[in-house]
Amino acid sequence: MIHVERQPWREMVNHASATYPNECCGAMIGTIDGDRKTVSVALALDNVSQGPQAARYELRPEDLLRADREARSRNLELIGIYHSHPDCGAYFSETDLKNSCPWYSFVVLSIQNGTFDHANSWLPDADQTHAEKEELTWPES
Amino acid sequence: MARILIPTPLRQFAEKQDSIELAGVTAGEILTGLTTRFPDLRKHLYNEEGKLRSFVNVYLNDEDIRYIGRESAAVAESDTLSIVPSIAGGRNV
Repeated sequence: MIHVERQPWREMVNHASATYPNECCGAMIGTIDGDRKTVSVALALDNVSQGPQAARYELRPEDLLRADREARSRNLELIGIYHSHPDCGAYFSETDLKNSCPWYSFVVLSIQNGTFDHANSWLPDADQTHAEKEELTWPES
Repeated sequence: MARILIPTPLRQFAEKQDSIELAGVTAGEILTGLTTRFPDLRKHLYNEEGKLRSFVNVYLNDEDIRYIGRESAAVAESDTLSIVPSIAGGRNV
């Protein structure tokens, strides 16, 4: 399961709302204790997709490298990636799956009319053919 | 010895180490050394054709090795390699 603490959760929701009607993206940093992941830091990253950002996001690998270095400098772990889906559900789309990496949790935030609606976390497989839903909690959930 | 940083989820396949010191003068030699020492890492980094998986990027310090000779990129003892995924996506349209 993955739990997002209050401060990073607010930052993720605010980032997703501020970016609406486009998709946002960022990194989640924290600790891993057995099966429990706890996100204590959210890092907003640039969406560098050259396509329509209302329906696409892309991270710069260099930004992920920076996020990993940030995590290591704080003695924390890079746990996952978050992004938003404007005006649709927090499912893991075919595009999400085909461009995913099986190493991380992927939190998707559904933003409806500019306001947070719901969220899910997903764990894609190595072949990019399937993603398992992962239990996700946050302070108000 | 150059150093290669191991992403958190892959450390379970590398005796829980967050970085490994390896001998080698090219990025390819370092990567081969890594997967020889920790064979379980191989399937996470390489596909069945023996090529780096599509979402796997390797950085030599701050440079993507694709732009500096790929696996032939020269590595010095003070260098650090990082394994960084490509990630993108987007809702259905």
